[in-house]
Amino acid sequence: MRSNLLISRRTCLRGLGVSLSLPLLETMGWADEPKSAAVSKPPVRLGFMYMPHGVIPERFWPKDPAAFLSSPTPILEPLRGVLDQCLLVKGISGVPIAPFNGAPHALELSTWLTATLPDAQKRNVVNIAISADQIAANYVGAFTPLSSLELATMPQTHMEHQEGLHEAYYSHCSFRGPRQPMPAEIDPASVLKRLFQCRETGFGPTGKTATEPLDRSMLDLVLGGAKDLRRKLSHDDQQKLDEYLDSVRSVERRIAAIQARQKESSLEKARVAPSNTVAARAVPIDIKIPTGDKRSEYMQVMCDLNVLAFQCDLTRVSTYIGSTPNGVSYPELGFSDEHHSQTHHNYEDVKLDKVTKINAFNVAQFAYMVKKMASVKEGSGTLLDNCILMWGSGLENGNDHTRKNLPFILAGKGGGSLKTGCYLPDVKGNQGDLLGTLLTCAGIPLDRPIGIAEKQLPELVAT
Amino acid sequence: MTFDGLLKRPNSPEFKVLWKRASAQIATREMPPADEEKQPSEKERKVVADWVAGMNKLLPKDPGPFVIRRLNKREYGNTLHDIFGVDPAVARDLPEEVLGAGYTNTLSPLLIEKYLAIANDVLDRSFAPAGSKPTAVQRRLLGESPGRGEDPTVAARKVARSLARLAFRRPPSEAEVEVLIRVFSLARENGKPYPEALRFMVKAVLVSPQFLFITPAQANTKGPQDITLLDDYQIASRLSYLLWATMPDSELSALADAGKLQDTEVLAAQTRRLIKDPRSRALFDGFGAQWLGLDKLEGKMFDSEKFPQMTPKLRRAMYDEARLLFQEILRDNLKSTTFIESNFTYVNASLATIYGMEQSVRGEQMRRVTLTNSNRGGILTMPGILATSSFPNRTSPVNRGVWVLEQVLGEYVPPPPPNVPSLEKQDKRTVANMTLRQRTELHRSNAVCASCHKVLDPIGFGLENFDAIGRWRTVDDSAGKIDATGELPGGRHFTTPAELKRIIADRKDDFGRNLTNRLLAYALGRQLEGYDEIIVDQITDAAKKEDYPLQTLVVSVVTSYPFTHRRVTNTGETLNAK
Repeated sequence: MRSNLLISRRTCLRGLGVSLSLPLLETMGWADEPKSAAVSKPPVRLGFMYMPHGVIPERFWPKDPAAFLSSPTPILEPLRGVLDQCLLVKGISGVPIAPFNGAPHALELSTWLTATLPDAQKRNVVNIAISADQIAANYVGAFTPLSSLELATMPQTHMEHQEGLHEAYYSHCSFRGPRQPMPAEIDPASVLKRLFQCRETGFGPTGKTATEPLDRSMLDLVLGGAKDLRRKLSHDDQQKLDEYLDSVRSVERRIAAIQARQKESSLEKARVAPSNTVAARAVPIDIKIPTGDKRSEYMQVMCDLNVLAFQCDLTRVSTYIGSTPNGVSYPELGFSDEHHSQTHHNYEDVKLDKVTKINAFNVAQFAYMVKKMASVKEGSGTLLDNCILMWGSGLENGNDHTRKNLPFILAGKGGGSLKTGCYLPDVKGNQGDLLGTLLTCAGIPLDRPIGIAEKQLPELVAT
Repeated sequence: MTFDGLLKRPNSPEFKVLWKRASAQIATREMPPADEEKQPSEKERKVVADWVAGMNKLLPKDPGPFVIRRLNKREYGNTLHDIFGVDPAVARDLPEEVLGAGYTNTLSPLLIEKYLAIANDVLDRSFAPAGSKPTAVQRRLLGESPGRGEDPTVAARKVARSLARLAFRRPPSEAEVEVLIRVFSLARENGKPYPEALRFMVKAVLVSPQFLFITPAQANTKGPQDITLLDDYQIASRLSYLLWATMPDSELSALADAGKLQDTEVLAAQTRRLIKDPRSRALFDGFGAQWLGLDKLEGKMFDSEKFPQMTPKLRRAMYDEARLLFQEILRDNLKSTTFIESNFTYVNASLATIYGMEQSVRGEQMRRVTLTNSNRGGILTMPGILATSSFPNRTSPVNRGVWVLEQVLGEYVPPPPPNVPSLEKQDKRTVANMTLRQRTELHRSNAVCASCHKVLDPIGFGLENFDAIGRWRTVDDSAGKIDATGELPGGRHFTTPAELKRIIADRKDDFGRNLTNRLLAYALGRQLEGYDEIIVDQITDAAKKEDYPLQTLVVSVVTSYPFTHRRVTNTGETLNAK
């Protein structure tokens, strides 16, 4: 059962009256680059999607590089048709988790994009490191209305203290700073509303934008007042208030970005800006918000929103916690066992099969997103060509919590920077190396290695 | 458990946690392993326990930190309701958060965006559109528009002061009022009429840190490390958000204005007053539901073929059953052991089907019923709680055992080591005709597993008469007869759930201490540290004689040193105002 809410191209235009929601017009160039005669290159987008508890290695990794394209393994099967746009890397090790040996699940997600362990001295508060997506957001976030987009399937409210660790480690992958886990959105309607800055979900002519023109100046005054307050506070209070200051500044930038685009669009309309022939505009993809409780439909709409946000250049960085390591089952697959309990399979066939199904289900949702991105035209290629999507897990094999060969699937060419269509069976590197390499491919300069990173991985880079 | 790495850092907090666990394992005879030849004497075991317990008394007195705290989702929605009369659900777009000790207390651009959007929404709902007659809420908050010849800025200043007092939950400083006036002037300069300019000012209030956080009224920049008493306004907010999940009402605010809340008697009396108010159900929704695990019930997956009756309606009734028990124990200051053994509960028609009382209970209204079957009553056998610790398709005696040990008795159960053989691994021919109990017992024949499971499993088996959603049964899924007999360490036998409850209820000191620990951690919004032990000792010592009545515990927590004080830290690298 589905209700066909949204967005046709027409309502998009009508409701917003601005070009904000439209895919980038090639004649207009990208927001961050000076207009020039030369055809500007679309920006590279980075998307990360997560599944907990690892995979069944024997059913994930191809037999050999040749088999990768020709006979996909059961877990990779859903990617058939787009494998030539993917890169499979084996040999990436996770962060060794000692002294937190009793916390394999508390750390699988929180180490995934940080490649760092929490502070062992203060484990009952959040103290880890900025995550790779946020490093990227710090660099490219100012060019788009949203510096980054955080999505999840389940609420981030799991309560468990493995090794005395704070519960936030369990359900967060994105950290804006060492002490600042980023909350993720789980309600597609709410995400849609946010992406389009509208107060109501309907995008009819009455849809009011959420910010008023004066809001930016008002926030500026409030920010000034917050700085007065800051002077009166103790040091520990000040640190907390700094998160507020940082967040308000980010929203101010967002409003500024929207205003700049509105201006650009009205100039365009008035033919003041140099406008050549209007290139083929890509039609924004359809968003259908499911009304039933089918997980696949739900995850696909979240993927759609991710595609839309990239397509319309509303953000260039996203994370999607497709599933979390606690109490999740997959009734859609015909059994009610919880994911975690099945991953301790001890190589028993019934459980191996169930985990394989769960793995393939998650890969299928990722494949859905990959295929969608591949179907969206951008410049002379597709949106996918300008993306680096990473799907993976923080454990290799959930059965014994190994982290030696973490499963990763990369998709997209990263604007020509990343190899695709092959399986690299023996990359020697760690999670930090991989994240650093991907950020470099996306053009993000790194001022320090990400977590345990030691080097870049040149074998992933297109030549 | 290994002390290796920690011996180099004997002062680290982990070190104390490990000692505490070691001491507990020695006390419960889990360690040294039973097959070890040399065993400590009873006296030696006690020496270790006393020594570890005594370690905390050597620590300097410390209330712990209380940094400015952001209102959580519920508190924020309720506060908007109290000020503007809007439905608290206006905050539903905010992400769900862990409350209490696990609260992250962080902010992100996403939240600021949502706060801005919600502020618009609140104003749209409660204020009249531009040019129309003001609503009652508008008149209450903003007064009348200034007459001809009156200075609108003077009028706006008066509004700003009263509005900020209300929304900041403390008197604003002159500088804070000035910021709001600047917002007002900005709107005026941009051609907005007086009422619209005030509306814009209200929006600024709603995205100010003083509204979003509980902030101190006075500057707090003394020595590098100080311990200070919270000011009256912080105490009022802390109390009110703890018990009501909303801002202080007028009586509590007036006492803060009068500087009376530093008086323990007054604070205790206010705590009792707030508990009497129906809004104190917030303590269950925040604390109780989390403690009992019922916050997970709504979203928990059940095998819909096996348990089609687990509808949202039934789940709500299960939740309400525990809530109403909790509220009665709190309101009437009943012994905490009532949680374990109570001869009454609350049901409606939906829930009555689980209890087999559908003949006598009709209608969806929850009502108090006296129980005649002593196997029922109390949290150990409550359907909602039995359901949350079950798998989607069957009971889990192990999970139930862990739940009782951790949530009821406050013990620490280590996670299972990886690679333990699971039930399903067992040879199918051997287990074909066994009950779940018999299969689980096989699993205990492994020495690695046995050390924990010999304590966990008997409790879980003792509850096997209740199926995965809490219905009474005499045979399990294998059609084998349920054997609910067992023995707990210390040689105590039981044959029915009622007898098991009796044994657990006898450990009332452990239960009382666990409840106190959890309440205090929730109230402080942080996990407890070694220096808090002494406070827990004081609270439990005072409540022991009366069997730890819940209201008494709450009053003690509110009037405790760490709830009314904070450690102020001014050291550390100076952060640049980025």
